[in-house]
Amino acid sequence: MSVSVPHAGPPPRTPVVVATLAVATVAAATVVGLLLASSAARPLDPFEWALTTAVLLPSVVIGCLVTRRVPDSPVGPALCWVGAAPAAVAVVEAWGETLIGRHPWPGAEAVFVVKQGFWVWNLAGFVALCLVFPDGPLRVRPWRRLPLLAVGAALLLNAAVSLDPSSHLVDGVARAGHAIHLPAALRVTELVGAFGAILAVLAAISASLVVRYRRSGDVARLQLRWLLLSAGAVPALLALGWAAELWGAPAGVVYSAFMAVVLIAIPLSVAVAILRHDLYDVDRLLGASLAWMLTSLVAAALFAFTVYVVGEIASASSRVGVTGAAFVTALALLPLHRILHERVGGLVDRERTAILGRVDAFVARVRDGEAGPEEMVAELRAALADPGLQLLLRLPGTQQHYVDADGRPVVPSGADRIELRSGEVELGLLVLGLSSTRRLRLARTAVSRARLPIEVMRLQIELRRALEEVSSSRARLVAATTAERLRLERDLHDGAQRQIVVVGMRLRSLQARLGPDVAAHAELDFAVSELEATVAELRRLAHGIRPSQLEDGLAAALRTFVAGSPIPVELSVADVALSDLGSTTAYFVVAEGVTNALKHAAATRLSASVEQDEGRVVVAVRDDGVGGAKPAFGLTSLSDRVAAVGGELSVSSPPGGGTAIVAEFACES
Amino acid sequence: MRVVIAEDGALFREGLIRLLREAGHEVVGAVGDADALLQAVADSSPDLVVIDIRMPPTMTDDGVRAARELRVRHPALPIVLLSQHIETRHSVELVTSGGFGYLLKDRVLRVRDFVDALERVAAGGSALDPEVVRRLLAPTRHDDPVSSLTEREHEVLALVAEGHTNASIAAALVVSERTVETHMHSIFQKLRIPDAGGRHRRVVAVLAYMRSRSPASPDE
Repeated sequence: MSVSVPHAGPPPRTPVVVATLAVATVAAATVVGLLLASSAARPLDPFEWALTTAVLLPSVVIGCLVTRRVPDSPVGPALCWVGAAPAAVAVVEAWGETLIGRHPWPGAEAVFVVKQGFWVWNLAGFVALCLVFPDGPLRVRPWRRLPLLAVGAALLLNAAVSLDPSSHLVDGVARAGHAIHLPAALRVTELVGAFGAILAVLAAISASLVVRYRRSGDVARLQLRWLLLSAGAVPALLALGWAAELWGAPAGVVYSAFMAVVLIAIPLSVAVAILRHDLYDVDRLLGASLAWMLTSLVAAALFAFTVYVVGEIASASSRVGVTGAAFVTALALLPLHRILHERVGGLVDRERTAILGRVDAFVARVRDGEAGPEEMVAELRAALADPGLQLLLRLPGTQQHYVDADGRPVVPSGADRIELRSGEVELGLLVLGLSSTRRLRLARTAVSRARLPIEVMRLQIELRRALEEVSSSRARLVAATTAERLRLERDLHDGAQRQIVVVGMRLRSLQARLGPDVAAHAELDFAVSELEATVAELRRLAHGIRPSQLEDGLAAALRTFVAGSPIPVELSVADVALSDLGSTTAYFVVAEGVTNALKHAAATRLSASVEQDEGRVVVAVRDDGVGGAKPAFGLTSLSDRVAAVGGELSVSSPPGGGTAIVAEFACES
Repeated sequence: MRVVIAEDGALFREGLIRLLREAGHEVVGAVGDADALLQAVADSSPDLVVIDIRMPPTMTDDGVRAARELRVRHPALPIVLLSQHIETRHSVELVTSGGFGYLLKDRVLRVRDFVDALERVAAGGSALDPEVVRRLLAPTRHDDPVSSLTEREHEVLALVAEGHTNASIAAALVVSERTVETHMHSIFQKLRIPDAGGRHRRVVAVLAYMRSRSPASPDE
């Protein structure tokens, strides 16, 4: 079994060969021109010849550039031939002309015949370009023959014209003897058929381009649109040339200018299409060009129409008509252009219209309150089809880092970035996951229309952070206070109580030693009972800080508490693991809630519950009383207690609809 | 009687020792933590042990654990626990086992009651601090049978729970022992407690009843 090792073969030769041939042709043309400078019948102006050659050079040069950069693409050689074909035609024609001159070149007679119809081949380069752009000949069944057909039609026309008797006349005298004389009708049909064939081939080429477009991927389509742009310039320039000629410009100048532009601009745009199709946004160019062209046409029509109308109706002097028409056209021009630009833009650059439309719709929804500005990122990602897109914001006061929509710091990393500014202030960054010139431009436009949600997002994040800061600092403060109080309770209760009891014991001991007959005995009794009262008072005080019933657990403590209520209280306590602080807080929520209800609500039913819900404790006291409870009703200290454990107290008390006091906090607080 | 005291507060410990001596009892050991207590009891075989619940090393309920340990080693040894807080958790359960007392520390200011309680426990009875009893007898439901007792009966019930004998109840309420008996009958009927007869059994029954309606009981 043999193993074939794939290896890179020698670079493809054909396109390079073809391109080289083109260069050679142009060089030959230059040489011929120099030779003919002296010996031709119609002496050639060397300056004119040089100018013509110079005009042909750019396309050859560009073609060579493309061939070098993309060696296996046939577009490069085709471009070379765009410039070389006219050079070849010029050479042939000059060769043929020598027949009339003083020193005819060898074979001039045959060449003279051929040269009559040879002008067909001027466009050979262009046709070749259209047939192979952008990635080679079209291999679809019916279109495969097209190159051959094109060559055949050109040959046909060349022959038809060359062999037609009228083309052999020079100054009314037949020079060569190779004309074919046909009856007039046949001659006409022959010529018509030949011309028709050429036209048909041109039409077929245009159709093949359409077919190619349909079958292409995105990049090829983009490149074809470049071709369309440059091809569309041809008729426009032609029209411009005719208009200039109409106004009296010399035909030679006009057409030379036309050829110059065509021979330079088209190869240039084709080269850009092949080498850097991403260089500029071609769709925008297309849209803008089309819009301007339409505007000019409509404006010109308007002008002409106004002149005509004024002339007919007012039968005033043409000067008035022209002035009036100019005035009207000037007024209409700008709004006309804007409308046309939008419409055409919408048609040609559908993607842009769609994206911006989407962004505008989203901004409108945000304004109406139907969407949150934080959905901006998702919207941008979807609109620009860029899942790696990031919207980073810079918060006021933090110059070091960027944050995302949730306020988390993020390090920007992506293909490209757009800075978002509002005047002098930097709002943030838009980081693109995928980048190209077109994407950058679209993203810039999209983001500038989405200013409102972005600014709102930024402010929201800032506000949220400030609130979190405030809330956590408040919780710290109250927690510190409560912890302090608990410590105080322990110290107070245990230490102070013990000391008082010790003093009492001493007094008792003293009393026993003095004996019962002494007057001081009763006094001492009194003193000790005072001490007892003090201890009881201390106990009550400690209860206010942390009720001693809680030693038996929250459920037990609550049961004891509600048992003392004159109105029955439905109690349900879930088995929640709470810290000391947590159980104290829960106890007081119920205790004060119930006390409050008993005092103010005039209720018939009370219920209290302690439940667990996903890591949070929910303590609720509900009654069916008169409602209308405001936070001031002794509930402020309670809400402080709850805030101390990082929780929230909410009071819902519609007038006449009962009251519900609900406290929520985390289990571990 | 010979008493061992376990109390970590020096001043209070001294006070207790003096109080007991003045009452005519002998203090054969005074220690400051649970381990020393076990040693002292092993060394001196006292008639009664008085333990503070909060002691080193953990300062939570080392006294209770020491008490349980003593119960295991010396099942007949009477124990009195002293506490600074009213707790029903440990108290009720331990008291029902007889020869056991649970008192608040400030009870020492009523010297006579305190010493009585200690002597009661040393004699095999029980002593439960009146404050604790008051807490246990607080109504837990609105249809609580305890509320159906008259005031006198309530007092009698409280005193029984505290561990007093019929004689001392009669003396405390200034009535005859017979009256006390009548009250007891009525109480037991109203509360549906089986009258087991015998002082200690009665106390146990009452305490069992109280435990069953105590908010700290596990089955509620």
